[in-house]
Amino acid sequence: MFETLPELFNNISVFTAKWWGMLAGPFGSGIATSLKVFGLTLLFALPLGLIVALGEMAKFRLISAPVKFFVMVMRGTPLMLQLLFVYFAPFYIFGIRGAYSRFVAVIIAFTLNYAAYFAEIYRGGIQSMPRGQYEAGAVLGFTQVQVFLKIILPQVIKRVLPPFSNEVITLVKDTALVQILGVSDPLRAAQNAASFTFSVVPFMFSAVVYFILCFIIERLFNLGEKRLSYYR
Amino acid sequence: MELLRVEHLKKSFGAELVLSDISLAVNKSEVISIIGPSGSGKSTLLRCITLLEKADGGAVSIDGDYLFHEQAGRVVYAKKSELRRLRLRTGLVFQNFNLFPHFSVLRNLTEAQIHVLGVSPDAARETAMELLSKMGLTDKANAYPYSLSGGQCQRVAIARALALRPEILFFDEPTSALDPELTFEVLRVIRQLAEEHMTMVIVTHEMAFARDVSDRVIFMDEGVIIEQGKPEDVLINSKNERVRAFLGNFKS
Ligand SMILES: Nc1ncnc2c1ncn2[C@@H]1O[C@H](COP(=O)(O)OP(=O)(O)OP(=O)(O)O)[C@@H](O)[C@H]1O
Ligand SMILES: [Mg+2]
Repeated sequence: MFETLPELFNNISVFTAKWWGMLAGPFGSGIATSLKVFGLTLLFALPLGLIVALGEMAKFRLISAPVKFFVMVMRGTPLMLQLLFVYFAPFYIFGIRGAYSRFVAVIIAFTLNYAAYFAEIYRGGIQSMPRGQYEAGAVLGFTQVQVFLKIILPQVIKRVLPPFSNEVITLVKDTALVQILGVSDPLRAAQNAASFTFSVVPFMFSAVVYFILCFIIERLFNLGEKRLSYYR
Repeated sequence: MELLRVEHLKKSFGAELVLSDISLAVNKSEVISIIGPSGSGKSTLLRCITLLEKADGGAVSIDGDYLFHEQAGRVVYAKKSELRRLRLRTGLVFQNFNLFPHFSVLRNLTEAQIHVLGVSPDAARETAMELLSKMGLTDKANAYPYSLSGGQCQRVAIARALALRPEILFFDEPTSALDPELTFEVLRVIRQLAEEHMTMVIVTHEMAFARDVSDRVIFMDEGVIIEQGKPEDVLINSKNERVRAFLGNFKS
């Protein structure tokens, strides 16, 4: 037990000096993996989510029904289960060994899961757009694609920024789930470190890592919202 | 010279017959006001002509080119490319403006010129500035719609429609969303366009304005044209019961 705050900090610095050499490696690679999972998931899930949203809203039930089902499944089952499924499916279903690495499995599962959540946000944003915007665009002779890209989408992006920031912050914390497939991450590094140093300080380290990431993301979203506040 | 022709136009929403049989012709430089009670199908008529609603029967042509016509009891629309071309000969001004809030006033006016007509950005900007000065809004070119009054928004919307040089401009209650003190500035702009011989079809509840500005007034009720003629014949000396009853509500 730490009695006072200064004592706590003192303990942490002594601990750090003692174990740094041993911890820096796993933590470093854990953070790097988290960032990679985070970045790649956004890179793929942001556009895929938009496509899924458009699929959900498609007039043809042949398209919209399966897409809606996909979204329901992705939102209705645990991400951890999806990670396991994606990794093991090629072997158990098709008997293919080593179809892709654990890391690729992680990216596929995260992308599919987050695309489903993003799709719901996009859909809400698109459906909140007044019909008059489409009609004004049509009357001015814009094609449907032009109306969507020039008039609807920019306004949707502004509307979905706040719900997106929630989802993206959840993504940061969800990256800790990759350890279920044995991919390194800061939380796993902390668990290992805690068990051989008999201390909770490693957990605090990883907490700080996640916290800083989330803090930066929130800042970026605030910045984005400010930049889009030039119109209402 | 006849510019627009509507023949036996029919439109239903579900079981509700909203336009039962509308025929009308608009000549070049003519200004027509359409009046009538709420729900009589005035907006639907404009929306069918401007392709925002699909017609169920009849035909509409511009300068002899058909947007759609009836063939063996079914409405057949022209090819997509043809529709796009014909649609650009008309313009529509909405009751609630429908400006693009994420574009500046200037860009509201230039975007379609550049990306639909293929006008160069410089030429588009020049056209836009000319129109803005005509609307008395030169100083608002770089403003965003949220910062404008309703009357200013509607004048921008009119300029936006004019920027594509339509041959016929439709207005659906252009002043109904405005505070009374702002309707004046919009009506003045429309009046000025009439003096420049712009062909216009205006759905309005402004009876005094309709009388002053139009060459012809059309009274619609329950999806049919009940009466049409010179403004004074319809608005003042109508013999028709329904017209008189409707106009009675406006006398105060
Ligand atoms: N998209 C729609 N779906 C179903 N019914 C509609 C639709 N649009 C209009 N209607 C109905 O059609 C009828 C005519 O509507 P319309 O808007 O054309 O009337 P209007 O003459 O413009 O009335 P107002 O003066 O109130 O604007 C109304 O009964 C209305 O409820
Ligand atoms: Mg109406």
